[in-house]
Amino acid sequence: MQNVAMAGARSETEFASLVDALAADPDRREQLTELLREDHPVYDQRGAATTVRMRGWVLLALARAGVSDAALIFVLEELDAGVDAYLVAAAARALRSYPSPNAALAPFAMRALTNIRYHDEPVSFEGYGEYADSSSYTTPVRELLVTLAWLGPHARGVLHEVEALRAQHGGLPKKLLVEVDRAVEAIRGGQADEPDADCCTLPNGLSSTFSWALGSRRGSESIESTVFEDHGGASVTFREFFRGHPSIVVFFYTRCDNPLKCSLTVTKLARLQKLLEAQGLDDQIYTAAITYDPAFDLPARIHAYGQNRGVRMDDRHRMLRATDGVNALRSHFKLGVNFIESLVNRHRIEAYILDAEGRIAASFERIQWDEQQLVDRAIEVLNETSNEKSGGPVPEVSPRPVDAPARGKTASTMLGTLASVGVAFFPKCPICWAGYLSMFGVAGLERIPYYPWLQPLLFAVMLINLASVWLRGRSTGRMSGFYLVSAGAFAIVVSKLGLGLESVAIWGIALTLAGSLLSALNAKGRRLTARGGPA
Amino acid sequence: MSKKSKASKSSKSARKPKGAKKGAAKRPSGRLMSVATNARKAINERVAAIAEAPLAVCESDENLQSMLNVLRSEEEPIEVRLAALQAIQAASFSVVTFESCRSEYIATLRQVATDPDMELRQRVLGILAREKDGFAQRKLLEGLQNPEKALVPPEKALQLLSNDVHAEAYAAAREIVNNPPSDTARREALRLLAADATAAPMFEKLLRDKDEQAEIRQISASALQALKPEKLQEHARAILLDTSEYDDIQATSLTAITQFGDEQAVAEDKTLMRRIDNMKDEASTKIKQSARRFLTKYGQ
Amino acid sequence: MNVEFQINNSVSPSARFVSWVPSPCRIRMTNPSGATTPTVTIRITSTSAATAGAVVFRKGTTGLFSTSLSLSVPTNGTSVPFFIAGKFGRPSVNNGDVRIDARAGTTLVGSVKIMVRVRKNANNLTNGERDRLVAAFAQLNNQGAGRFADFRNMHTSVSSPQAHGAPGFLPWHRAYLLDLERELQLIDPSVALPYWRFDQPAPKIFTLEFFGVSDALGTVQFSPTNPLQFWRTDGVQGINRRPFFNTSAAPPGLRTEAQTFALGTQYPAFRTMEGNPHGSAHTSFGGSISSISSAARDPLFFLLHCNVDRLWAKWQRQNGRFNPALAASYDSNPGNPIGHNLPDTMWPWNGIIGPPRPPTAPGGAMASSPCVSAPGPQPRVRDSLDYQGSVNAVSRMGFDYDDVPFA
Repeated sequence: MQNVAMAGARSETEFASLVDALAADPDRREQLTELLREDHPVYDQRGAATTVRMRGWVLLALARAGVSDAALIFVLEELDAGVDAYLVAAAARALRSYPSPNAALAPFAMRALTNIRYHDEPVSFEGYGEYADSSSYTTPVRELLVTLAWLGPHARGVLHEVEALRAQHGGLPKKLLVEVDRAVEAIRGGQADEPDADCCTLPNGLSSTFSWALGSRRGSESIESTVFEDHGGASVTFREFFRGHPSIVVFFYTRCDNPLKCSLTVTKLARLQKLLEAQGLDDQIYTAAITYDPAFDLPARIHAYGQNRGVRMDDRHRMLRATDGVNALRSHFKLGVNFIESLVNRHRIEAYILDAEGRIAASFERIQWDEQQLVDRAIEVLNETSNEKSGGPVPEVSPRPVDAPARGKTASTMLGTLASVGVAFFPKCPICWAGYLSMFGVAGLERIPYYPWLQPLLFAVMLINLASVWLRGRSTGRMSGFYLVSAGAFAIVVSKLGLGLESVAIWGIALTLAGSLLSALNAKGRRLTARGGPA
Repeated sequence: MSKKSKASKSSKSARKPKGAKKGAAKRPSGRLMSVATNARKAINERVAAIAEAPLAVCESDENLQSMLNVLRSEEEPIEVRLAALQAIQAASFSVVTFESCRSEYIATLRQVATDPDMELRQRVLGILAREKDGFAQRKLLEGLQNPEKALVPPEKALQLLSNDVHAEAYAAAREIVNNPPSDTARREALRLLAADATAAPMFEKLLRDKDEQAEIRQISASALQALKPEKLQEHARAILLDTSEYDDIQATSLTAITQFGDEQAVAEDKTLMRRIDNMKDEASTKIKQSARRFLTKYGQ
Repeated sequence: MNVEFQINNSVSPSARFVSWVPSPCRIRMTNPSGATTPTVTIRITSTSAATAGAVVFRKGTTGLFSTSLSLSVPTNGTSVPFFIAGKFGRPSVNNGDVRIDARAGTTLVGSVKIMVRVRKNANNLTNGERDRLVAAFAQLNNQGAGRFADFRNMHTSVSSPQAHGAPGFLPWHRAYLLDLERELQLIDPSVALPYWRFDQPAPKIFTLEFFGVSDALGTVQFSPTNPLQFWRTDGVQGINRRPFFNTSAAPPGLRTEAQTFALGTQYPAFRTMEGNPHGSAHTSFGGSISSISSAARDPLFFLLHCNVDRLWAKWQRQNGRFNPALAASYDSNPGNPIGHNLPDTMWPWNGIIGPPRPPTAPGGAMASSPCVSAPGPQPRVRDSLDYQGSVNAVSRMGFDYDDVPFA
């Protein structure tokens, strides 16, 4: 971040010039990405509208210079949860400068189209800080339609949504129907490079939405004495509330005017709490929603905000405002937020899982998180805590892409390897999931309660997995993975025939895993994946 | 202002257009539009035609362009332009239908925001400010910082900027509180700062200042209730017990305690109860009324 | 001997509210001492002041109403059904200003106080009704930290496609007003949402004691006794509303009631009232109420919409348009967006979020009523039409307008 020397006092004009210079210099283009971090000092004490102008200009610079993997997440974030016409339009344009269209990008463009279509506004990209006030302008909807056309056959997954909007009264602006038809035509026509493989993969740029700290968790000593006031006005320190059990923490503020951020985050927290309750874990995993705006968000206000969104509030589940140690809190979580005076001017979506020591075990950033995903991770942390207490082994951590710059080099290297393994082992789409379910389910059927319908079901999904690998093999022209998975499936079936060959199941699993790995690696040279895909 | 009254006069006469009596809805929108855009027609006739069916604006691109042209044109009578603005804005409530018109409407509003007519500018900037439009915010802030560039008076600019707590207006508002160009500008600056979490001490001071205008003290009470509610309750109690205080601020204080006070604490406050019990008979009419409401709530 | 009244088939005091639509009630003997036969004839009458509410009775779901009713009530405690309706033109002014008496011969054996609670012209409210309404609004808002925030968040630029520019405009707003009214009634059950009849002068609404007086700038001023002086939405203090008309007169250019009805007898024609008078009423002001994204920040918005709903209700009655099965009652079109078709559930009460619905669903399910069961927690578009239960008695939603009788 410090590579780009920017002081908060720098004028908007100077900022714009710097951005232009960075975009024009291939050696410094990567620094544009740093300027998209909300906590960058350049946004300190800027108003929200100014921040929009500045970030929009960076996105437009990326549109000229090309969006790298590192910058992609910022572009997708804007499409995922942006409501400002200028930023969404700029992000839509920037996305088209990503080196290769990919099916995983289409849902983001579609979501942005759905979110912004009734707030289409004229925007001007001609010069820094310009607002369109004539008939020569573009709009976010127009830009998104062009982006969908750019995605072409890669956007087939959202074609039905585009067509539905076109058919619906008022679904899309009448005067843009030519652009709509052009997008539909582009999506329908031509061939995607690897349409089948696309369904299961995400670009590298999405690797930083989830971070899993492995053996390098930063201690929470610096904020242990941070004092919070909760929704009922009770005081509690970080240490008192967050030590001794895992916690799920989200950030929000009540004056946030983007319904896709704070309001949705707190609504989802309520749903997450219900998932914990359903699993009987609500007394083992605590939850907290911490406001970015503690000066304004008094207890009555955060209580009402939580209550209006169905949040459970008690001793284990709290809405909090920091009354002391705010800066330490901001620094500990490296919060993606900036301010004008005490008011937020821009923030990212962020959620954290803390371990029983109050250390950050996992973080979810920028893209909407999934409640079940967060609960699953929290349970892993809970199990890890239980194992540590009982002296048992630390459970294997699911391989996930990691926010490498934020962690140590060792962790980064190790995770890089794990990520490759994850390509093979982690379910990436419903069909993949069926495959894994079949393999583990069939092999380990004796260890789970008896369900007469389960075995045939698992055999069926194992066949689906085989078909999936076969399809992928056909598309890549490399069938070795399929042969290995076939052998694995055969071994698993043999182990179930009652011939005293149960141990063969282990070979079956190994062969299936190896075959899946080979199949996935064949599909694309190097590919990182994320289980849930775009939220 | 004279233009405004002229507009309302002509609008008034247009209230019951002949066509409307016969079943206005059946009148083809094409005919309405041709009357609306016909410079040779009487102003009140044009205003009535524009007002009659706002949704006609979105029936076709031609209709939209015609109305936007009327709105933009400085040659058109201001009454007709204001009617066009009002009609398009009314149509904007039909979101699904209006979607096709929206971007062009916003672009036109930005154009008209600098129109020579003050009333039109003010209304247009109001619409944009409520959409939290960055263009409007920038123009309004520029005007506060440099009065020569101001499109509207400072009090209007502050009022419009208060639509968005994220507008970077606190510094300008503080400056106006310290060095007010008018009482109204100071009042609007204080209203805007009522969302500033750091402003509570200032409002405490204003609330207790007996030399301050009643309206400013009322604003301060409301601001304090939002920023530091326990402080307002404390001050409201003190104001009620102070027999030298003014009726207005006592009435506001009593209203605050009745509406937002901690019911248990208030019920147990015998001194306060006695004081309010006296007020129901001795105080001015407006306080008597509030005192009775309070005592009814607390079962006295 | 004693009898017990069950108003709206409930013994709860919170259910003792009726409107023009007959409310199902029951009476039963709780203490038969003194009775010599298996049933006793009980005569039911009502008493009220000339300025208070008045009710009428009938035995069954059909037949004429009368000012008294004789019922044979078993001494074994079995309840006997009957109906009470507010007498059209005689709404209550205060809670419980109508007393229902039960007599065996000349002996008073039971009584209950009820209210004929209907939505009235805000310009005609008594001072007491006005004060109760503003106090309830202020409490619901509670300085921006109250339940009102949900209602504000239900009506924003993000959520507006669920409710505007398509046929669901009127049904959605009917449900919206009902939800708000029920929340106000939780604070003060004597409150009914009044309407601003925008085609008539309504000077009493725009006073310091009621919805405020706008200064030249459009900042709304309140009397120091008016709790709306503490109104706050979106973190911003006060209300901005700048009338473009003399508030002692009606705004110019709005369709009158008669002109609105003249739009047509079919729903597709009638619903164009969304432009004029609805949209035109909004834009007869500057300030929050004149933009869709901010309109719900001004409490006057709810009175404006109450009149829009009243116009629909009156039009429904004039043209017999309560039945969703009748084509002319609605604008069913395959191209309607979601939330605008008769069978669609309505956001946010359905709790459905994510495209094509808005990202969040503020406020949860529709508030329930102690008096009626309709429209249920997750109303559909079709549930909004038969608000008086004239097609199906269980559809009655528990509100009425002072000038729209029971169909």
